[in-house]
Amino acid sequence: MKLTRRDFVKSNAIAATASVAGITIPGIKDAIAADDGIRWDKAACRYCGTGCSVLIGTKGDRVVASQGDPDAPVNKGLNCIKGYFLPKILYGKDRLTKPLLRKTNGKYDKNGKFVEVSWDEAFKTMAEKWVEARKKGPKGIGMFGSGQWTVWEGYAAQKLLKAGFRSNSLEPNARHCMASAVGAFMRGFGIDEPMGCYDDLEHADVFVLWGANMAEMHPILWSRLTDTRLTKKGCEVHVLSTYEHRCFELSDNSMVFEPQTDLAIANYIANYIIENKAYDKSFLDKHVNFNQTTTDIGYGLRDSHPAQKAAKNPNVGKFNKISFDEYAKSVAPYTLEKASKMSKVPKKALLKLAKAYADPKKKVTSFWTMGMNQHTRGVWMNGLVYNIHLLMGKISEPGNSPFSLTGQPSACGTAREVGTFTHRLPADLVVAKDAHCNFAEKVWKLPQGTIPRANGKSNKVDQTDISGKPMGKTLIHAVAMHRALKDEKMNTFWVMCNNNMQAAANMNEESLPGWRSSKNFITVSDPYPTVSAQAADLILPTAMWIEKEGAYGNAERRTQFWRQQTNAPGEAKSDLWQVMEFAKYVKVEDVWPTDLIAKAPEYKGKTLYEVLYTNGQIDKFPKEQVTDDRGNTYNNDEMEDFGYYVQKGLFEEYRMFNSAAGVPKKGHEMAEFGAYHKARGMRWPVIDGKETLWRFREGYDAHVPKGAGVKFYGKPDGKAAIISAPYEPAAESPDKEFDMWLCTGRVLEHWHSGSMTRRVPELYRAVPDALVYMHPKDAKKRRLRDGSKVKVVSRRGEIVSRVSTRGRNKPPQGLVFVPWFDAGRLINKVTLDATDPLSKETDYKKCAVKIVKA
Amino acid sequence: MNICGILVNAKPENVAAVTERLVAIPGMEVHASSDEGQMVVTLEEFEEDATAEKMLGIQKVEGVISASMIYHHYEDEALGEEVAQ
Repeated sequence: MKLTRRDFVKSNAIAATASVAGITIPGIKDAIAADDGIRWDKAACRYCGTGCSVLIGTKGDRVVASQGDPDAPVNKGLNCIKGYFLPKILYGKDRLTKPLLRKTNGKYDKNGKFVEVSWDEAFKTMAEKWVEARKKGPKGIGMFGSGQWTVWEGYAAQKLLKAGFRSNSLEPNARHCMASAVGAFMRGFGIDEPMGCYDDLEHADVFVLWGANMAEMHPILWSRLTDTRLTKKGCEVHVLSTYEHRCFELSDNSMVFEPQTDLAIANYIANYIIENKAYDKSFLDKHVNFNQTTTDIGYGLRDSHPAQKAAKNPNVGKFNKISFDEYAKSVAPYTLEKASKMSKVPKKALLKLAKAYADPKKKVTSFWTMGMNQHTRGVWMNGLVYNIHLLMGKISEPGNSPFSLTGQPSACGTAREVGTFTHRLPADLVVAKDAHCNFAEKVWKLPQGTIPRANGKSNKVDQTDISGKPMGKTLIHAVAMHRALKDEKMNTFWVMCNNNMQAAANMNEESLPGWRSSKNFITVSDPYPTVSAQAADLILPTAMWIEKEGAYGNAERRTQFWRQQTNAPGEAKSDLWQVMEFAKYVKVEDVWPTDLIAKAPEYKGKTLYEVLYTNGQIDKFPKEQVTDDRGNTYNNDEMEDFGYYVQKGLFEEYRMFNSAAGVPKKGHEMAEFGAYHKARGMRWPVIDGKETLWRFREGYDAHVPKGAGVKFYGKPDGKAAIISAPYEPAAESPDKEFDMWLCTGRVLEHWHSGSMTRRVPELYRAVPDALVYMHPKDAKKRRLRDGSKVKVVSRRGEIVSRVSTRGRNKPPQGLVFVPWFDAGRLINKVTLDATDPLSKETDYKKCAVKIVKA
Repeated sequence: MNICGILVNAKPENVAAVTERLVAIPGMEVHASSDEGQMVVTLEEFEEDATAEKMLGIQKVEGVISASMIYHHYEDEALGEEVAQ
């Protein structure tokens, strides 16, 4: 019998699929062992925070096949729809291949047209602007990175900004996504990221979704959850949301609540547990202390905003110790009646939920994402769920798990663990602590006092800036950066690896004016001409995903590596190359004052590149041929260009923060570089080559001493903090004129702003435009029907779109849902830039709008 | 040429009916199924758009609980040449 390549490929497809299902089909070959001239290698998926592993098949420098990785513990051979289209994101027709600078008559001009320039010209122009802007002060410049940066890209950028330019104006887009989760972890446990892991998906008896549409946003985790629900006796799924979505199909207890009243619901559950004496007293005595947070804290708006002026304690995050009885008293007003009345959720449903948490025999895993994080009380709300788990002692063991999911592939690995936030350094260190900065300076071989402290003082003495003046206060968060650009206090801004303009709340009033101000110079690095790129002055073409060697860290603390599997088109270069190469264009004298240089005369006349990257640590590992254990070889463009194994050097220096002896904060250990190229990822802390599945519990976590049982070692006293926080209203609620809630979010077929997925024609056709999802009765009241053209109007702006009353998303009366992936209908012209005053994360889920016929 | 391996879940009692509906779609074949209702499906299709439409459409076929993409191969050629056995 003749066998064509088509037969051959087909039998591979059958074999792979059968093997995931555990079905044997006689005569079908093993897919991966077959040699079809295709080189297969693993890569972490480019999209969400789940961290699925995919096998990528390349042939002649082009990706021709992909497969869910059967050896990956996360996805066990499965792939979601977005993963299926994954390789195609590399081949969009409008990939950028050359740097583009706005010019008129051959010269840079803010109002000029984009013209192709060399990398040298791009960086020369940029360096001139950056050095000039930096003279104004540490906030004169800014960089906005990403939870999609690889670990070493984030690390290299952090060094460039905090140590090189001596500026804390570095933020990731994770500010808009994870900051509230981080805030609550630090307040409650003193160490970031979930204590549990995805194995909880098989161990739990009860799942509670608090503001997470897992079915659409985390499909692979959802399929694991579904398996457990359908196969484990007595397993229940509770779903809380402000509108009905696909998770409701599996739900045993569906609860659509009035926006912001999740605060009341969580407090009611705590009250129920206390009233029924269901709490675990011995756990509380040994491992928990009680606290009351400061209330009436405002909405993270400009200080001049009325809602901000009205607050008694704007932006105050302080919490004070209280007794158990005082805590019980603080939640006592949240009765079943009150919670039901406020939330509009029937009493029966709330009681069922409370009983599930309070049943000592049931293992409960809570999941949440943006519904809880993008919330003006996001830090509080995250904390209220920890309170429930801590009251019951249902934490840090298989199946009992409060679990904050992430939206980006390396929101944890890069933004949080490397610490690319204005206030952070690697491994949970912060620039507010002099000792942490001193430690970082030692690791980085820099003179003491190089890194700007939060308050601009080191050893209680003012740090001198390049201008000769004291450094002053140095922290600036993402939303404040856009405000500073608009106010022309910040004059240069570099956006990498995200679509910052499209994602910015209230973009018309707060973002675009700053980007287009003649005083400001905006650089955007991206593989595609996104809304952000088009609003910039300089566009840098970027090598993406498997066009470079990379590392991501997912939501369960799993660090995963991949090799460079194809070459980038044209002159596109990775973010890593761009950051390091740009550092060659700035000299120490341009940005450091003479007294600091005097402390390290060996750096005189050096470029930032030399000081930061060829420091004897990062350039320690010589150039080598990257080879996998099957003998396949791979390119590494950065190694080729810089002449040493850049990624390895950066990672090993980074490890000095989390794995060396005597680090300031323990519990973040990682394995050495080579180990990750072999494993399907490992969950930190990795101790003696062994990963940690459940933290803080003896037997699972090597940091918990024998006999302790549980130890929350992130806190000096080893105890977790239950922090009482009340219900406080949203920043803007519907009124007579603007009579509807607006909630924004994502849809399955698109990922975030759609800059990658909207380039895949098939996905574009599946959900071409962002619709206004609305209750049929609300539509009828306005004489609208399915498909009617409407305006969504807020106090800030409006968009035109079409009504859907029959979509997958079914809002209750009084609320509309609009996805934000659509660059043609920028819903962020309408949203409000209110943030959680503690985490500075924007609340994209709540503002008031009216819907009128267009 | 696109060749996809797709894992489809249905209730065990619906497997026969779902199989019928799936094979009615041109290019789609069902190769095996388990007692738990898991079905091994392939799709062969030249057209990019049709591939996507059919693939996304699987999830809307009556009786299908979920569908996951396991394997995908695509090349411009028809893959008609012989390979050594």
